[in-house]
Amino acid sequence: MAFVPVPGSEVFNSRILPLEEVIKGIPSSVKLHSVSEEEVQAVDPLTYEVVRHRMWAITDMMGEALKRMSGSLVVTECNDFDVAVTDEYGDVVQVGLFNTELVASIDLAVKWILKNRAENPGIEEGDMFLLNDPWVGGGLHQNDVALLAPIFHDGRLFAWTAAVAHQADLGGVSPGSWTPRAENVFWESLPTPPVKMVKDYQIQRDVEDVYLRRSRVPKIVALDLRAKMGANMVGLERIRALIDKYSPDTVKAVMKRQMDDAEHRLRERLRSMEDGTWHAVSYQEQSKQGDRGVHKIVLTMTKKDDHLTFDFTGTDPQSGMINCTYTGMYGGITAAMLPVLCGDMPWAAGGLVRCIDIVSEEGTLNNCTFPGGIGKGSVASAWATSNVVTECLSKMLDTHIDLSQRTQSVCCGTWDLCVMAGLDQREQPFATMITDSMGAGFGAGSDHDGVDTAGLLIIPMGKMPDVEMNEFVLPMLYLWRREETDSGGPGKFRGGVTASLCFISHDTPAPMAQVISGSGKAVPMNVGLAGGYPGNTQVDLTVRDANAKELFARGIIPGSLQEIEGRHELKSCEEESYLAPGEAHYMYWQSGGGYGDPLLRDPAAVRHDVEEFKVSLSAARGIYGVVLDEDSLEVDAAGTERIRDEIRDNRRQLSRQGGDGNGHHAH
Amino acid sequence: MTYVIGVDVGGTFTDAFAADDNGNIVSAKAPSTPADFSRGVLQAVTELANRLDRPVEQLFGETSYIAHGTTATLNALVTGNVSKVGFITTKGHRDSIYIMNLEGRYAGLGPEEVRDIIATRKPAPLIPKRRAKEVTERVDYKGSVMVALNEDEARQAVRELLDEGVEAIAVSLLWSFLNPAHERRIREIVHEMAPDLYVGLSSEISPRIREYARNATTIMSTQVGPTLRDYLKPLKSDLTQMGLQAPLLIMQGSGGTVSAEEAPGYAITTIGSVLTGGVVGATMLGERLGHKNIISTDVGGTTFLVGLVVDGEAVFTNTTTMNQYNLNVPMMQVNSIGSGGGAIAWLDEGGNLRVGPRSAGASPGPACYGAGGEEPTVTDADLVLGIINPDFFLGGKRLLDVELAKKALKEQIGDPLGLSAEEAAAAVFEIQNAQTADLVRKVVVETGYDPRDFAMYAFGGAGPVHCFAYGAELGVQEIVVPLGQTAAVFSAYGLAASDVVLSAELSDPANFPVGAENLNSNFEQLERDVRARLDAQGVKFADVTVQREIDIRYTMQIFEVPTPVKNGKLDEGDIAQIAADFEEKYATLFGKGTGFSEAGFQFITYRVFATGHLPFKPQLPEAPSANGYTAKGALKEHRRVLLDTRLGWRETPIYDYGKLAAGHVLEGPAVVEAPTTTVVISAGSTGSVDHLGNVVIRYGQGGE
Repeated sequence: MAFVPVPGSEVFNSRILPLEEVIKGIPSSVKLHSVSEEEVQAVDPLTYEVVRHRMWAITDMMGEALKRMSGSLVVTECNDFDVAVTDEYGDVVQVGLFNTELVASIDLAVKWILKNRAENPGIEEGDMFLLNDPWVGGGLHQNDVALLAPIFHDGRLFAWTAAVAHQADLGGVSPGSWTPRAENVFWESLPTPPVKMVKDYQIQRDVEDVYLRRSRVPKIVALDLRAKMGANMVGLERIRALIDKYSPDTVKAVMKRQMDDAEHRLRERLRSMEDGTWHAVSYQEQSKQGDRGVHKIVLTMTKKDDHLTFDFTGTDPQSGMINCTYTGMYGGITAAMLPVLCGDMPWAAGGLVRCIDIVSEEGTLNNCTFPGGIGKGSVASAWATSNVVTECLSKMLDTHIDLSQRTQSVCCGTWDLCVMAGLDQREQPFATMITDSMGAGFGAGSDHDGVDTAGLLIIPMGKMPDVEMNEFVLPMLYLWRREETDSGGPGKFRGGVTASLCFISHDTPAPMAQVISGSGKAVPMNVGLAGGYPGNTQVDLTVRDANAKELFARGIIPGSLQEIEGRHELKSCEEESYLAPGEAHYMYWQSGGGYGDPLLRDPAAVRHDVEEFKVSLSAARGIYGVVLDEDSLEVDAAGTERIRDEIRDNRRQLSRQGGDGNGHHAH
Repeated sequence: MTYVIGVDVGGTFTDAFAADDNGNIVSAKAPSTPADFSRGVLQAVTELANRLDRPVEQLFGETSYIAHGTTATLNALVTGNVSKVGFITTKGHRDSIYIMNLEGRYAGLGPEEVRDIIATRKPAPLIPKRRAKEVTERVDYKGSVMVALNEDEARQAVRELLDEGVEAIAVSLLWSFLNPAHERRIREIVHEMAPDLYVGLSSEISPRIREYARNATTIMSTQVGPTLRDYLKPLKSDLTQMGLQAPLLIMQGSGGTVSAEEAPGYAITTIGSVLTGGVVGATMLGERLGHKNIISTDVGGTTFLVGLVVDGEAVFTNTTTMNQYNLNVPMMQVNSIGSGGGAIAWLDEGGNLRVGPRSAGASPGPACYGAGGEEPTVTDADLVLGIINPDFFLGGKRLLDVELAKKALKEQIGDPLGLSAEEAAAAVFEIQNAQTADLVRKVVVETGYDPRDFAMYAFGGAGPVHCFAYGAELGVQEIVVPLGQTAAVFSAYGLAASDVVLSAELSDPANFPVGAENLNSNFEQLERDVRARLDAQGVKFADVTVQREIDIRYTMQIFEVPTPVKNGKLDEGDIAQIAADFEEKYATLFGKGTGFSEAGFQFITYRVFATGHLPFKPQLPEAPSANGYTAKGALKEHRRVLLDTRLGWRETPIYDYGKLAAGHVLEGPAVVEAPTTTVVISAGSTGSVDHLGNVVIRYGQGGE
């Protein structure tokens, strides 16, 4: 299907603009509360610290409130949500420690609202705006729904609070709202630009119905709307109390200073490093069902003085449904920047982003033009953007004697998605995402192994559900969920191992619909650094007509796919499928990449890895060049030297021949 | 005459306390004896007998029980000095304890540690993977056996573990809380092969849904069970030799007790044994003083502990975190931050002043100790502000050096920020007060309450110094600083005075409406179990009461709310009422309109508490009464003190607690020096000495 642009859609394209230009675009009817630069400077260190601490406490309480009220497994069990407090322009003062990618473009969303909603329908006290339009901001794909609340003081717009969470289903042709069949965004959930969902602290029934009508699970979505509203109410109340105690000008001055402080620290850190340019490429394999292409995102990152430029020129054109919008790209950048470069600084993102700019061509994978498909943007092109940013930042940090400790190879390079919908064991309809794959390995660093089954870098407080909880709620029975030997990227420091799971459909009368998605099946996206190897590739597989229950009857629990008889159906990167009663489904997601040449790894560390089943005996020998006694696992020092020499000789030969020894040039 | 005795082992001292049924109390102290704490216990009770001027045998002959708070299990876990344990679990699920739902990477860390995700790590594994064995067996979510236990595999696993020299075996299988048959069979197999080996079963230690926490709880309990057994067995036998016939009861983190014989089987429930002593004490004292809602703040050198009492009962949590592992241990909720008196003040990279969470600890301690500490602490700031008397710290047991405190504050904080030593001290003081107020507010609000409906109890060395400030910040009604006879042995008093409480729980997750038959039989089973265990304590109770609750959640929501359930046989109407009660409680906790009843309810875990009420309550003795309000006779001196930067330095009267009597009222600003702490009364508030000798702080009209 040819790509047909939609005239008039440009108004929804948010872009980073200098603050002066933003201010110019705000109608004069909006009265903003501001403070002068002098007032910001005048805050004493004591008040600053007290109020700053309170800002942190506020986002924490907002997050807890949202989590407690939410009805979405991905929110309550996996922390796939976030909250933020911003200044009057939407510049982020404090980010909650949940899924940081989600609030990364809140600033753009607020600025858009200020420009486009101030005159009609107006921005008043007691309003809250809902949006899930990734072209505007406030989320990475349509499942990320944001609720933004302006806070007024004496009739002036003082600040905003935001709550964003992933919603299980918001319509579109497939359960879960993204479909590998998408030709464009009209196959997916309808993007909603900012609408006044709450007026005078009341949810507007008509607007709510418009929103809920599209969903296959309107009850949960309605509940989550209230959870977000509750979170904003907590923020509102606490910020008002702060204003009452310290005066609005003082609180605002602290907010501004938090951003200045963060900016100052990041600039100082950047200045402490050598200038330079770094490159990285991340490949995605399939842009939709049936596609056989490979699609690349290219980053050239330049650090000059105290500034970073992220230049994505050369990135492939938008394709299928793996694209993300400009705000998704922006989210992908900040989501990697916060943990890798700024983990030990305050996350006043509004200050941090003053140190960067972005160069990107319209109509590319991570700067998709309407109405391109973006349903999978969050875990496709926004994620791949994070990968290349993590890689470039780590390479930069690795040049600095102290900061090299912050270096980390790419963690789980792609999201292993499995959405299921059907009838549960109580014959009630359900639609959910299997969130176990959040338990990925972290990348290795310049002085440590990656953490095993550690989570995702962009979600500081991620979580996997317990097997029992999933089995109680869903019609499934796990054959296993385990760490996978040899999955971590080999290196002088090993990438964190990841896990796999295999379950059978259990106690449901009907087949379940499935959406399977995730790249990195042929080319690992969890690349290594400094000579470290990449981690495992992702695998999804269904066993049709599986004999698992017959095996059960014979007293056998299969411990590997080979032990389950049936038709083994290897899944492509993007497809819609089903799982019939009794059939088995296997998921094996990605680990972290390694750091440094595995031949330089301490043989004692390799031995320990073998003892703990992180590395197999054969990989110890074949990849790390470490020879262990098969029974005692004692290191054979002489044998190790010998085999390491052999491997090095072999490498020399391969490099002389050209051939497949060239694999790592791209980094 | 009948006595009850409480013994509480602390890091430094072992406190003992005895009360008789005539309202007499006596207390004693002995140095704690690390390595074998039982010696300190024996010494303390011997000292107690001395104080009563009678031989130990005679005291023991009239004792109805000894309640004992022990750090044995907590210390073992903190130091990693635990038994060598093997683990047996369901095939395919060994790695649950290594994957830790990935949450183990950050559980229990402070916000700044969590944010620096690159620096986070998982804790050391509970046991090496080769000591975790899988056996073929499977039960599903209904409790039905899908695959029978393969006994040969089980034997093989046990054999391998025994060959490795394990001292105990923990068994935790999927869904064992619904169907414990396989776990029990494995224990039989172990005992066929090693009759005396300690075996911990998850279906007994923690029969609750969610396998990761259940596995971790079972393993940790099994790691410390033998330790506790090896500590209690000789202690009990020594006490028996000294003439004790009454039971020795071990304090649990729930505030209840368990008999010494039974305790090793539920070892993990004793990890909060000492932590919660303060909350128990506050509950008891509150009963006496008529406070139903209490915020208890216990501020020591390293930590700031917050507990809550609501409607006369300590607030519970059913989950806790230990070494980054999630544990199913019903305990009194005690939150902590690293904001004790030893918390270090420092400047971060942005030049912002920060306090804690790192502590100077006991060594080198605050700069003013003169023991080599160069970093300024909260205690240094208190000293420089004139609040603490350098010659009367711990009653004069430790002399403090003001100049060293000033030097540290000036050099580390003052100079970079352009402040004097005094100004730096004032800033540290205020930040400490603000951030502790934030923590307390978070605890109270997240439990669903408003701090303004509470009285605050402040104790521990640094609590009374700062409570006037964080109390005002929270708007509490009044602050009680427990002093007098009770203060020194606050926790031990709580032990001796608390009723015996046992709990039992069982997960049986099901959608609402739950069948009445099922629900009744769950509660009947739990009550039978808990009453039998109460009988086994060997204590004569005045009466026994039972409370029931069910953890309920909205189908789509994950947070389970423990909802009280009435006793007796329940019918469908009662069950509907339970759901309605849950909705009401949910709304109290999370706000009106946050629940989503259309999604339906799920009843997850059933729990029963049985309380054995003691025949008598030890009474706290009255403090001597004063003649009139004024406390001129107790006035020690005047000294320049800075309590509030807006008010500046003020000549402040300093009182000697030892000369105060019940009925005295002090106008703030004032400072009261007691041997164990210093109490600050701010301008505009009053401090009165109550009939027990406690100092009660009330804010004036409008407050400060």
